[in-house]
Amino acid sequence: MADTVSDRANSTVLDVEAVRRDFPILSETVYGKPLVFMDSGASAQKPRQVIDAMRHCMEHQYSNVHRGAHYLSAATTDAFEQARDRVARFLNAASPDEIIFTPNVTAAINLVAHAYGRAFLKEGDEVIVSEMEHHANIVPWQLLAEATGVVLRVAPVEDDGSFRIDRFAELLNDRTKLVSITHCSNVLGTNVPAKEVARLAHDAGAKVLFDGAQAVVHGPVDVQDIDADFYGFTAHKLYGPSGLGVLYGKLDILNSMPPFLGGGDMIDKVSFKGSTFKEAPHRFEAGTPAIVEAIGLHAAINYVADIGFDAIRAHEAGLRDYAHERLSAIEGMRLIGTAPDKAAIISFLVDGLHPYDVAAVLDRQGVACRVGHHCAEPLMDRLGIIGTVRATLAMYNTKAEIDVLGEAIEKARKMLS
Amino acid sequence: MARAEYEDFAETLEALDDDMRFEFLLDLAKKQDATDFPDEWKTDANLMHGCMSKVWLVHEKKDGLHWFKGASEAAIVKGLVHMMVQSFSGLTSEEVREISLDDVRRLNLGALTFQRQVGMMAMLKQIQKMAGQPVAREAAGA
Ligand SMILES: Cc1ncc(COP(=O)(O)O)c(C=O)c1O
Repeated sequence: MADTVSDRANSTVLDVEAVRRDFPILSETVYGKPLVFMDSGASAQKPRQVIDAMRHCMEHQYSNVHRGAHYLSAATTDAFEQARDRVARFLNAASPDEIIFTPNVTAAINLVAHAYGRAFLKEGDEVIVSEMEHHANIVPWQLLAEATGVVLRVAPVEDDGSFRIDRFAELLNDRTKLVSITHCSNVLGTNVPAKEVARLAHDAGAKVLFDGAQAVVHGPVDVQDIDADFYGFTAHKLYGPSGLGVLYGKLDILNSMPPFLGGGDMIDKVSFKGSTFKEAPHRFEAGTPAIVEAIGLHAAINYVADIGFDAIRAHEAGLRDYAHERLSAIEGMRLIGTAPDKAAIISFLVDGLHPYDVAAVLDRQGVACRVGHHCAEPLMDRLGIIGTVRATLAMYNTKAEIDVLGEAIEKARKMLS
Repeated sequence: MARAEYEDFAETLEALDDDMRFEFLLDLAKKQDATDFPDEWKTDANLMHGCMSKVWLVHEKKDGLHWFKGASEAAIVKGLVHMMVQSFSGLTSEEVREISLDDVRRLNLGALTFQRQVGMMAMLKQIQKMAGQPVAREAAGA
C-alpha cells in the first residue's frame, strides 16, 4: 500500500466535517436520534479507507502469508510485511523486526509476562505497575507473581488523577526488574511522562513496558525517544480493525526471549529431537496471523498520519477543554480525572445518581458512553467510587455533540432526581 | 403465576412509547424503593454476579408458594427487579418452573437494551434456582 500523504498532512487545523464523512457509521441514527458516539476509548469507529483496504484485500489479494509459492501468497505476504513496516515507522522503531503482531494489547502484555517474565524474573524481583492500570496490565503480572514469586508493587495516583514521578521513583530499588505502566489512563485520561519513567527505570536497572492502548490514539509515540524496552497497543482503538494488537520490543531483548506460543511460522526447524526457533518477530507469531486486519491497521495509520497528530491533538484539546467547561456547569457534576496533562477522556459522576442510570438516559438520547469500572477496578477502589460514566472524545467528535451530551446529562438529572 | 401483575406490566409496556416506558420503569423503581429490603440482606450471598449494577435477591417459601424480594443500586434496574419479583412471586414450584424466557422477553420489549435483557434473563434463572427448579432454556430450534 502506498503511503500517500495529501495536503491535509501537517495542517494544524482539522476539518471535522470532512473527517466525519470518512466514517460511514457516524451518520447512523439510534432511537431515531443522530448517533453521538463517545465510546471510542472502548473501540473506535473505522473510516472507509480502512474498510476499503480490508475489502480490497479480501476481494483481490487474499491468501495465507509466508507459505505459498504462488502469486497471491507473495502479494499478501508483501502487504502484510509492509503493514509491519508501517507500524515500525509509526512508533519510530529501529527496525520492522521489532514489531510483533498479536491479537490485541492484552496479548502483547501477556507475551512479555510469559516470555520475558518467566525467563528473566525470579522470586523476590519486583514489577511496578500503577494504580490506574487496565486489568490487562494487572492480571498478567499477578499470574506471573503466582507462578514465580515475583512481587507486584503499585505506583500511586493522586486524587485528581495525576501521576507523580517522584512518588513513582520512591518505589524503584535494586530488586525492580520491570516497570509496566500505562502511557495514558483509559479512565482518567492522565498522560504518564513515559520518557522520565523509562530513564528512572533504566537507572534502577529495570526494563520498561508501556501500555499504549490509549496513548497512540491521541498523540505521536516515539519508542526510541522514550527509550521503551516494550510498547504495546491495539489496532481497534486506533480506528483500525479488532483482532490485532502490536508489541514493540527492542530487538536484542526479543531475540533473548524464549517463544511464547509454539506452532507453525515461528520455527526454524522441527524434529522430534527438538525444534529451533526463528528470530523476532516471527518467533512470537505462531500460526496464521490476522492478515486482513494488519492491512487494515496499515490503512488506519495512514489515515491518522494523513490528518496529522498536530491537527488531532489541537482538535481534541479543544474538545477536552470545552467538555470540562460545559459539564462543570451542570449541578452536581463531579469530573473524575482532572490532571493537568490529560487526553480527551472525560469520566464523570453526577451527585446522587447511579452512573448506570445516567448512561441509560444518555443512550436514549443517542449518546453512546461507557459506564462501569472500565476494567480498572483497583482504580475505582482507590478513588472510592463504584464506577464512572466515560465520554471519550475522538478526532471525529464535535463541540455540538458535547452540547448534546451536556443536555442529555441535564435531562438525566431531571428524570432521575 | 402472579398473572394479574404480570399481564399488567406487559400490557402497559406494550401500550407505551419508548420514552414513556422509560418513565414507567423509573416509577416502578420508586415503588421498589418503598418495599422492604433491609441492608442486612445486601450480602454477598444474596448478590447476583455479573451484573453491571448490583442486584440482590432473596427467596422465601411459605405454604408451598415461592416469594421473592429484590433490590438494586441503579434506578432502572430497580424497575426491572420490581417487575420480576412482583410477577413471579406467589407461585407454586411447578409455576416457577414453567416461566419461560419468552415470558421475560415480553417484559422487555424494544425499550431496553440487550444488556438489560441479559440481566433479566439472569434474574429469571436465579429465581428458578432459588426455588429449586431447573432453569429456563431457549426452546429447541429457537
Ligand atoms: C489502557 C488499556 N489497556 C489495555 C486495554 C485492552 O485492550 P484490548 O482489549 O484490545 O487488549 C485497553 C482497552 O480496553 C485499555 O484502554
